Amino acid sequence: MKLSRRDLLKALSVTGVGAALGVPAYLRHAWAADPIKIGLPTALSGSVAQYGIQAKRACELFGKEINAKGGIIGRPVEFIYEDTGGDPATAVRKAQKLVEKDGVKFLTGTVLSSEALAVSAKCPEWKVLLISSINGVGTLTTKFFHRYFFRVNTSGPMGVRAATLYLAESPMKRFYGFGSDYAWGRDSVGAFEKQIAAVKKEIIGRDFAPLGTKDFASYISKIKQAKPDGVMVVLAGQDSTIFVKQAAQFGLTKETKLVMEILELENMKAVGDPMIGIIGSSRYPFTVDTPKNRDFVKRFYDHHKVYPDMFDGETYEALEWLAQVITKAKSDDVEHVIEAWEDSEYEGLEGKFFMRKCDHQAVQPGFMVEAVKDPKYPHLIPKILATYPGDRVTPKCLTEEF
Amino acid sequence: MPLSLLVEHLLNAAVLSGLLFLVSVGLSLIFGILRVVNFAHGVFYMLGAYLGVTAVVWSGNFWVSLVVAPPLVGALGAGLELLTLRHIYRRPPIYQLLLTFGAALIMEESIKVLWGPTARAAEPPPVLSGSVGLLGATYPSYRLFLIAMSVAVGVALLLFLARTRAGLVLRAVAQNSEMAGCLGADVRLVRTLAFGGACALAGFGGVMAAPMTTAYLGMGIGVIVDCFVVVVIGGLGSIGGSMIGSLIVGAAQTWGGYYLPETAMAIMYVVMGAVLLFRPWGLFGQEE
Repeated sequence: MKLSRRDLLKALSVTGVGAALGVPAYLRHAWAADPIKIGLPTALSGSVAQYGIQAKRACELFGKEINAKGGIIGRPVEFIYEDTGGDPATAVRKAQKLVEKDGVKFLTGTVLSSEALAVSAKCPEWKVLLISSINGVGTLTTKFFHRYFFRVNTSGPMGVRAATLYLAESPMKRFYGFGSDYAWGRDSVGAFEKQIAAVKKEIIGRDFAPLGTKDFASYISKIKQAKPDGVMVVLAGQDSTIFVKQAAQFGLTKETKLVMEILELENMKAVGDPMIGIIGSSRYPFTVDTPKNRDFVKRFYDHHKVYPDMFDGETYEALEWLAQVITKAKSDDVEHVIEAWEDSEYEGLEGKFFMRKCDHQAVQPGFMVEAVKDPKYPHLIPKILATYPGDRVTPKCLTEEF
Repeated sequence: MPLSLLVEHLLNAAVLSGLLFLVSVGLSLIFGILRVVNFAHGVFYMLGAYLGVTAVVWSGNFWVSLVVAPPLVGALGAGLELLTLRHIYRRPPIYQLLLTFGAALIMEESIKVLWGPTARAAEPPPVLSGSVGLLGATYPSYRLFLIAMSVAVGVALLLFLARTRAGLVLRAVAQNSEMAGCLGADVRLVRTLAFGGACALAGFGGVMAAPMTTAYLGMGIGVIVDCFVVVVIGGLGSIGGSMIGSLIVGAAQTWGGYYLPETAMAIMYVVMGAVLLFRPWGLFGQEE
């Protein structure tokens, strides 16, 4: 009998479906327990893709290390990445896919605060955890807080707090606030205005540029004209790089001090020498000198051949802490994990972390850094100017007050 | 207003106007000669930027990219006209709109596949990477170069159309293609070359823009929207109209962004609305 084309296709599709659905799952059962799945609805494209890439790098290193040690509670860890492009609606859609189709109980790696707010709002309904390792906006742990959200990273108001504590001691008096026109930018500029007024300094202007702005010329003219002593810059990703480059070209960096809400390696690599002398707060400077961090930086460099940036470190900490509490709870049941995490301690890369039960904000040290040249490294590095203990930079529970 | 601010205002507007001019003049020429509204024009600008960045990476020299990338973009444009547009001139205009719109989507996605989703940065050439002091204002030299180049292109185009034989043929085809054909002009060739040339101009704009704004997905859509406003204000088919339209839109965007940041975008459309109400064929266009 001659095999018809249609029969062949049928046969192929049946075996194909079999291969796609049945066999790998069966095999997986055969050699290991059910994996603990961690889902990342994260920006891997668009103007903030660098943060999604950082989150992914941290997952890759952590996954390799933990699985080599036999996983968490005897189960392997599996990461599933979904590209959101930095769009809140897409982030929710991708998160829903991760939860409903892949059966993920833990979400992390959301990049924009607006994405995190959108995904977080759905978590109580889905009964899954959103663990922030990147998101800055204060309201995630205040107005919109619920028990299915944890923030392991330094928040925007905390970063601003570190910067304000540093600026309070400086001779600079008059400041300008410049941020991205979305949740995080508006929130952090607002927090800065409040805090800087409390230390008797003056805000002389503010401006917000749309996310993805490519030409900052007229904003730069405006800031120059106001003649501030310092500018609080709350920009993310490429926006931040392009702004600093153009600020240097227009001579703004010579006339005033740029203070970045997040001063990142990515900026320093892209901008190069014109960045020298720019200061800012850092969620995680890889230069922090603790034994645990020195070891982490080495392992990270060996694996990825680059030094860890802010959210490489922060995401790694989120994952390690999650593994610690799952081990403590002896289960990946979401309710048990929440209980185990609340009021727990963790030895982070930069020092001691403590997860407050009242608003699920991790109390941790804050840093003020400066971009400097160091012949030991191929690019500029963040030199730590000041370290502030967790109780000084973390706001009171469920507020942005200090 | 301090003098330094005035200088910065004028230059900022000129930079943006220059870029808009390089793209909108091609859009206008294509409409004048082919009677097609080319939705894909912004994507040719984007393609120029990406090709320019790649050429800089390969050759290590910005000037090489400035010479190599625009002809490549132009060749692709001519190819598009030859293979697709040429066959549907006789159909109703909606077919040409759909075709160029489809081409824009295909090219945008292809660029995403080829270059990846992340923006690509290019550095200005070393000679132009610094800044210049001008009447108390510090201004990046690359931006001044960009202004100079767009003015040069504008002047060269005007001279080409007014003084050369090829320009004469172009004008003849634009005015009455049938009569020009009867008098011996190769109308089909003229159309292909005009389309390709206009795309090369957009590509040139893209190469010029990349060191300032990086090459990123979506830059084509962004610029084409602004350029439609430019040609509506200036009048489709008129080079002078593109110049004035670009200046108006460039000024509205930069100065609006400075003084009324919340309404900067609206200002541009208000101007366009006013033109449409009182002079629907544009400031420099001809009533048909």
